[in-house]
Amino acid sequence: MSRHEDVRNLIFLGVCAAVLFFLPVHLPLYLRSVAMFTMMYVVLSLSWNIISGYTGYVSFGHVVFYGIGSYAVAILVTDYSWHWVPTLFVGAAIAILLAIAIGFPVLRLKGPYFAIAMLGAAEGTRVIVTVWDSLTHGGDGISMPNVDSSFETYYAMLIVMVITILVSYWVGHSRYGIRLNAIREDEVAASSLGINTTYYKISALVLSAIFPAFAGGIQAYKTLYVDPDQDFFIQITIAMKLMAMVGGKGTVIGPIIGAVILYIVQELTWINFPTAHLIAYGLFIIAVARFMPRGLMGFFIDRGWARKGMVH
Amino acid sequence: MEKAEIRSRYFLGAFLAGAYALPFAIGVWNETVFFDAEWLASLTTVILNGLMQGGVYAMFAVGLTLIFGVMRIINVAHGETVMMGAYLTYTAFFYLGMDPLLALFLTLPTAFAFGWVVQKLLLNAVVGGPELTPLLITFGLGLVMIQVVEWIFTTDFRTIPYNPDAIRLTQNISVGMNKVISFSMAAVISIGVFLFLKFHRLGKAIRATAQNRDVALVCGINIYGIFLITSGLGAALAAAGGALISIQFGFNPETGIFYTLQAFAIIVLGGRGHYIGALIGGLMLAVMESLISFMVPNGTAMVEIAAYGLMVFVLLIRPRGLLGAKEG
Repeated sequence: MSRHEDVRNLIFLGVCAAVLFFLPVHLPLYLRSVAMFTMMYVVLSLSWNIISGYTGYVSFGHVVFYGIGSYAVAILVTDYSWHWVPTLFVGAAIAILLAIAIGFPVLRLKGPYFAIAMLGAAEGTRVIVTVWDSLTHGGDGISMPNVDSSFETYYAMLIVMVITILVSYWVGHSRYGIRLNAIREDEVAASSLGINTTYYKISALVLSAIFPAFAGGIQAYKTLYVDPDQDFFIQITIAMKLMAMVGGKGTVIGPIIGAVILYIVQELTWINFPTAHLIAYGLFIIAVARFMPRGLMGFFIDRGWARKGMVH
Repeated sequence: MEKAEIRSRYFLGAFLAGAYALPFAIGVWNETVFFDAEWLASLTTVILNGLMQGGVYAMFAVGLTLIFGVMRIINVAHGETVMMGAYLTYTAFFYLGMDPLLALFLTLPTAFAFGWVVQKLLLNAVVGGPELTPLLITFGLGLVMIQVVEWIFTTDFRTIPYNPDAIRLTQNISVGMNKVISFSMAAVISIGVFLFLKFHRLGKAIRATAQNRDVALVCGINIYGIFLITSGLGAALAAAGGALISIQFGFNPETGIFYTLQAFAIIVLGGRGHYIGALIGGLMLAVMESLISFMVPNGTAMVEIAAYGLMVFVLLIRPRGLLGAKEG
């Protein structure tokens, strides 16, 4: 990857960010929130992609970091009357600690066992959040003081998205990312070449835990309500995974494309067919896993419609 | 190497002893444990009920271990198949007016056919490929199953009122009749399947395929046919588990994921792909869960964590579990 191409990609990102920066003034409330949630799913699927796309450790429980972020905001804003921005960082800090605590034991498991263990971690955390009444208000959820937060959260999400894209881009183009790829392809060989695989795996998990915590927190301040079933909803993990897989995991642009396409499709369908869109999700996962294992981007590259350098 | 093996066995033993002692410790801490005659009687009741429940767990875990042992596939839609079995029984009970146990003659063949079709259409092509592909496929399948059931039956909790009497052993110790019935059914079915695997020609072929796919192929076994039968059998066992669960507990479309976790914890504990291991693991997990829900505050929610913690620790301490073979 040449320096020239880096600069071009950065300019492209800057133009997109500028458009998104001036967009909300002209948008009605509903479209503004659609735009915000689209950006949120871009953040989520890119973050999932860091641990699962590059390192090959497919996480089935990434929603746990998202839920931690939203609960940190809800609790601190409601019960301790903090300003909401610093609470995002508290949520991210907790997510980092949790990622380290989960990662140390669980990243020693291989492939499917890691997947199931993460699924269990997310479900277990949801149960703890439901049970720990005194801190989390249990299954009732927390309603935050009613304010109009649609502009603040939009810009916060925009900033988080740009940072996530930059970090993903860096991961995709640095020695760090190459080492993660080496772990995915053959962990034993990677460690025999002197790569400290434990360090790389845990740092990748931490990186992929930070941004969902921010996204979850911002989302909580947008909807002003959290509850365990909604913020630790397994379907959010499914969405992250599916978006990254449809776009093409292990690339930077793939998860972005997947998130935009799928979120818009979901937004268009779920109002009319609340059940049908989940069935479609399931069928989508099956079809992608079975017939398009490298996603849309892999599909394009195979046909010569996209250059490898552009997407990696 | 041998030394590490023995050490991991001791570690596992120590871990399990600690895991069983923990609910008691928490109980003492919270002063819910008294050690008088009445408390001991209710403890006995709880353990007996746990064992009864364990039979059912063991049965659907056996289905999962069979599928894993033969095809090295992790079927995350297994819990959803359990849930499907419960709903099939519900349908037979309320719409056809059948006895839940008689309905097994209807649900088992249906589930067998379901497993067969899934294997034929989706999974046969990916056996032996990357491990994660079947995981994702069955995950998607589970999602579709949940939504279809939710569509037909809504998300309400359903129960089947069946034989709620209790058998009194002594004045303070009693066991629900429906639990005894489902335990006996589970015992009959799992022993039946065990004998089938041990002595029948087809069962031997299944075991041969599990031991070494290539050699089995060379010996003239149609391994893809065996995969179809195994998958069908696994689904039938799951559905039987669901049928027996449906006469004791409430269920809704979302309960499946919990059964997947439990079944997975059980086969990890017993040894992945090991039949007897799954039976023992089922009993052990159920007893541990009932101890937790008996003594720990908020215990009924905490049992979910028990299954999960057990699984992760066993995978870390001794990945082959209690009885499983060493993996290469």
